Amino acid sequence: MATAEREQRTTFIRQDGKDKVTGLGRYAADLTFTGMLHAKFRYSDHAHARILRLDTAAARALPGVFAVITADDVPDVRYGPYVQDRRLFARDVVRFEGEVVAAVAALTPEIAERAAALIEVDYEPLPIVTDPEQSLADGAPLIHDGWAGYGALEDMVRDGNDASRSTIVKGDVERGLAESDVVLRERYVADMSHAAPIEPRAVVAQWNGDKVTIWSSTQVPFNARAGVATTLEMPEADVRIIVPHLGGGFGGKCEFHFEAHVAALARAARRPVRLVFSRREEFVAPDHRREGQVIELETGARSDGTLLARRARLVLDNGAYSADASFFSQLGAMMAVGPYRIPHVSVDASLAYTNTSPSGSVRAPSAPQSCWAVEQHMDELAARLGIDPVELRRRNIVREGDEGPTRQVFKPIGAAEALEQAVKAIGYGRELPEDEAIGVACGYWPSFANPSGAHVKLHGDGSGTIVTGAQECGTGAVMALPLLAAEVLGMRPEQFTVVYQDTDAGPWDAGASGSQTTTNNGRAVMEAARDVREQLLDLAEEELEAARGDLEIADGEVRVKGSPTKNISIEDLAAKAAGDRLLIGRGSGPLPPTPVVDASGCTGRLGMESWVGPTFITHAVRCKVDRRTGVVRVLEVAAAHDSGRVLNPRGATGQVEGGVVMGIGMALSEGTLIGDDGRQRNPHLLDYKLQTASDCPPIEVHWVEVPDDEAGPNGSKGVAEPPCVPTPGAIGNAIAKVLGRRVHELPMTPARVWEASQQ
Amino acid sequence: MSTAYAEPVELAEALAAVSSGARPVAGGTDLVVGARQGKAGLPDSLVAIHRLPELRGIAEHAGGLRLAALVSHEEIVADPRVRERYTAIADASAIVGSHATRHVGTIGGNVMNASPAMETGGPLICFDAEAVLASISGERRVAVADLLTAPGRTSARPDELLVAVELPALPAESGSCYVRLEYRRQMEIAVVGATAMVVLEEGRVADARVAITALAPTIRRVPEAEAALAGTDGGEEAVVAAAAAAAAASEPISDVRGSADYRRAMAAVITARALAGALARARGEVVPIPASPALHGTG
Repeated sequence: MATAEREQRTTFIRQDGKDKVTGLGRYAADLTFTGMLHAKFRYSDHAHARILRLDTAAARALPGVFAVITADDVPDVRYGPYVQDRRLFARDVVRFEGEVVAAVAALTPEIAERAAALIEVDYEPLPIVTDPEQSLADGAPLIHDGWAGYGALEDMVRDGNDASRSTIVKGDVERGLAESDVVLRERYVADMSHAAPIEPRAVVAQWNGDKVTIWSSTQVPFNARAGVATTLEMPEADVRIIVPHLGGGFGGKCEFHFEAHVAALARAARRPVRLVFSRREEFVAPDHRREGQVIELETGARSDGTLLARRARLVLDNGAYSADASFFSQLGAMMAVGPYRIPHVSVDASLAYTNTSPSGSVRAPSAPQSCWAVEQHMDELAARLGIDPVELRRRNIVREGDEGPTRQVFKPIGAAEALEQAVKAIGYGRELPEDEAIGVACGYWPSFANPSGAHVKLHGDGSGTIVTGAQECGTGAVMALPLLAAEVLGMRPEQFTVVYQDTDAGPWDAGASGSQTTTNNGRAVMEAARDVREQLLDLAEEELEAARGDLEIADGEVRVKGSPTKNISIEDLAAKAAGDRLLIGRGSGPLPPTPVVDASGCTGRLGMESWVGPTFITHAVRCKVDRRTGVVRVLEVAAAHDSGRVLNPRGATGQVEGGVVMGIGMALSEGTLIGDDGRQRNPHLLDYKLQTASDCPPIEVHWVEVPDDEAGPNGSKGVAEPPCVPTPGAIGNAIAKVLGRRVHELPMTPARVWEASQQ
Repeated sequence: MSTAYAEPVELAEALAAVSSGARPVAGGTDLVVGARQGKAGLPDSLVAIHRLPELRGIAEHAGGLRLAALVSHEEIVADPRVRERYTAIADASAIVGSHATRHVGTIGGNVMNASPAMETGGPLICFDAEAVLASISGERRVAVADLLTAPGRTSARPDELLVAVELPALPAESGSCYVRLEYRRQMEIAVVGATAMVVLEEGRVADARVAITALAPTIRRVPEAEAALAGTDGGEEAVVAAAAAAAAASEPISDVRGSADYRRAMAAVITARALAGALARARGEVVPIPASPALHGTG
């Protein structure tokens, strides 16, 4: 990349920045319509119970109430991306505390709330299962009696409360363990945590005849559209999803959530209806929280540190319904191996139904927890071997030509370089006060290939518009699309506006999920820009009377190579086109190829056995541990990432900084406590402790740029999720170094650190 | 929902409103947040007191200081007299909630909300502070220690408005410190807190006050801890004994913020740190405000 271009990428200011910083931006909860009503849900009063009687008469009779709806008022449809195990409204059985039993639309939120409370429901309580291991034990109560009859993807392995089982077998783990000089067995347990976006979700629905427009705080508008069409049994063409500014998502707003509930209410009430979640609802009701995990690891190594075998057993908490968590067992299984050469591998991962809120994608789902266990396990193994933990990693980390858990052969990668850069940046090995230590953790994460589309238009004044189906969730990925169009067209990014977040405008896109926007929509936008470029060159050929091969496009003009005075500006070409054939480009582009693997020993394959554009990460953290109280402070973080070529350094660095802070929260303070009654005990921000700006340490970000030509545009790979992956593990290792004892529960709260220090 | 709202400029008018059942509101950091969280609905009638000039400002008073009810935490932290003489109050106000809370939250609201986890309560009790309560029938003074009777309850009558908190004069060579167990740097609530105030005479502890916060239904002094210090040189042995006494006097609960065992153990640790801070300040050493981060060893 030319220096000037890199400079431009570093200084480019995103289009939505000013709106968001100054408060001008409008979010879904800010929208208001004439005659608009307010929605409230009636949630289940039990974590597991059979509904015996449901009576809405008193609620309906309350003045100001326009509609009360239940399962009887919507089609009896089960939905779910992998297994169709849930309905919009509970019909016979409620399976977690946030399950929606009924919905009310009324003149004010207060009336709606009162009406929701007036709905009478009689329940027969059923046994509650909150522990995923107990859920899989013999004789555990079945959470879904009818699981076997649910529609599901064919490749899924399901059995009773095990909603998705996945295994990886490579080599002969028994032999590997037998040949090892040291074998270490450990067990780690991670609590459930949350995406906790600052904007609680909001949905507004308005009907116009048979068509409905829904403004929703979703990360995935096209999924939301499909969900509404499926559950309300209407054509997708009649559903339009618009996303105003989105106040964060972190995966929690992926998938289809409450759009259909509000649309059904608006239809019944014959008025626009708005639903705005309280903070408590944001914790309790959505089907997207980070799953708890039990991780059992057994690793064998030679005395020189060569890893020979890894056996792992993972139990992931699916919650009461399968949102998009079904593939987490396979992803978690991959994570349980980590970015190391291990010839003999056997991993068995289960996703257990429990009577808690459903799990779903939260920034790098399954990875921070399993990486936290694996990387602490690596340090513990290093201690048993008498080898420095960084040296142990150095001897085993994957390099070009090495095989992953499913025998995917890695192309040129920067895993080893990331490790070296992070330990160098933090000053690994230097003298520190006795209450401080440096911890290191490595991780890996796939990029995701999806179809995606965009249009690029050039207007008569020479400015451009990108029309995209991609969704901006705050990462800046959509806002950075002008950089890519500008690069192809020799223009400046400021010359482009972006039309986005409207399913009726942009082509299909997978949404702000899986770090996939730049990888896939970036490809589409560049393809569309190339289409326009060809159209510009067609025009320039005539204007400059030059052969196509002699033309180049740069600095806002098309010129004849070698004759810089023979040129015409893009502005002039656009003006000419405005009176004739308009400049409209379209793009999608071919998906990057799926890497070849040998997953013959694997079951429960849901696509995670083969990784497009794998990214490699090392984080090194310096922590201070107060042994007397267990309070841990992260003083400094060095993060080195091989994310392929970095397209937007400012945006990418911001992603790493945010991901590291989210990782610190997971490591130290963010965990949901579940009572025996199946209810969350800390569903609010006072006792679910996010890290605050004052807690953020200096974060030094290093990019190991090893381009991958079979991933995102220009050799790039996904950026948004990887920074979450190794941070808790690195912090765990620093704590263990200070204490001389390890914390085996996540989050590593002061009380848990203190307890470890007391042992 | 509130149906009546007044914002008088005369104290008499405000007192009349309070006597007829209106609930006072200043910063609203407890009242509004509590209502939003569904803890308690907003009262029917509100009287805003932010326009009453006599409820503003910090002033010298009888050798001590008078903190009028509307004084914000931010003003307390910025006041050199509080920092110099009543340092523990500055320690406490400096860590209430967030920047925003400290900007609008007032000492009057903090006291009258009567939370057992409130930050300024321990310091006010250790300084023998008095609450000045006004009503249409006159003014009376109540020791803050007697004002806080139970979680969310005070001994003030419904017709009384807190107009000021008065701090008596302090002996020379005194030092004070408030320390809270902190899981993060902003938006915290006390899980364990401790206040210490000591007076030194020729190197020996002439007087000691120790109070524990969030460890019992109300913030309370711990006479056994104070006795363990009185007459000693304030050395480690005395501090450890006082800290153990504070732990023994605590009646912690187990909840999502911590187990009773952890809280009791922390009662000793945090009390020892508060004492160390107070003793150091009494000896003229500099301990930063707020003391908590520095004394946690996590600064």
